[in-house]
Amino acid sequence: MISKRIDNAALFAVLSSLADNKQAVGRRYAYWCNGAPALEAAVAAAAMTQDELGHARTLYPLLEDFAQAEEAPEQIEPMTRTLHFHLATLDEDFAGWCDFVATNFLVDTALTTFFEAARDSSYDPLRQRARKIVQEEQMHFIHGEGWVRRLARAGGAVRKTLIASLQRLWDETLCWFGPADDPIMLQLQRADIIDATPDELRSRYLQKVMPILNALDIAFPVVFNVENKRWEVSQALPWERWLAVSRRLE
Amino acid sequence: MSNTNEAVVSPPRRRDTLNERHVWQVYARRKYDEPLHEIGNVMADDVELAKVYARSIYDEFSWIEMVLIPRETIVTVIGT
Repeated sequence: MISKRIDNAALFAVLSSLADNKQAVGRRYAYWCNGAPALEAAVAAAAMTQDELGHARTLYPLLEDFAQAEEAPEQIEPMTRTLHFHLATLDEDFAGWCDFVATNFLVDTALTTFFEAARDSSYDPLRQRARKIVQEEQMHFIHGEGWVRRLARAGGAVRKTLIASLQRLWDETLCWFGPADDPIMLQLQRADIIDATPDELRSRYLQKVMPILNALDIAFPVVFNVENKRWEVSQALPWERWLAVSRRLE
Repeated sequence: MSNTNEAVVSPPRRRDTLNERHVWQVYARRKYDEPLHEIGNVMADDVELAKVYARSIYDEFSWIEMVLIPRETIVTVIGT
């Protein structure tokens, strides 16, 4: 029996989204454990699948500690949960290996960016999990980066398919951090649960992925600000399609 | 009539374009008092990916040390 539940709707919502995204990524990865183009990649896919599902398994139990869980207790268990707070692009199976690589490189890295901002979280359970997750995600990023390079440099239809996969994920991944005035993320930042605003999280994320994409001549609507030496979004994101509760685009 | 001495260069097949070509021999050890020994190999054109693959595939033990050696750097002293 929970003696005293935490009453924090913002943290509950973000934890739900993190858990659902990890679960969805793991499930989509799982189908490709024996469908990767090379044996080594298939084994790496299996290892990453285990990691992602493991991360989800460590996050869902945290929901039970919240007062918000009392309203719908079935929603805190992955087996009975009917809400889907993961990115809409994860609703469908991957159409091919390029979708796997794009998700690995863009979506996984976005979630890791959040966990990096929670490494010194004032919410102890998140701090503990964030440090472990960030450590395990290092290999995931190397895998994603390596395969983005290989597929991009292959040229022709392979490169074109990769770019299409990346483009499908781009807007929603960037939106996941929330708009600049996102009350949920800002509340977490003010409470020192994370150490960054939505714009700062998005900026940190772009500094990771854009050097690689730029070196491969894969263009996205971002510009490099030479004054502050940061990659910045140059085109408005589709906030009119943003669903604030589920943190996804409709 | 075509010159039969001309080299015909075909573009790589798509399968070959994605196939890894570099082999890395994997050596590891479980205890400090045992030597590094070969446990297998992985194929990857990129050393960082090779490290990912080696750690993913050869995870049956808690190795205290694991190294990769590009096969092309191995020098045969006595051949079989």
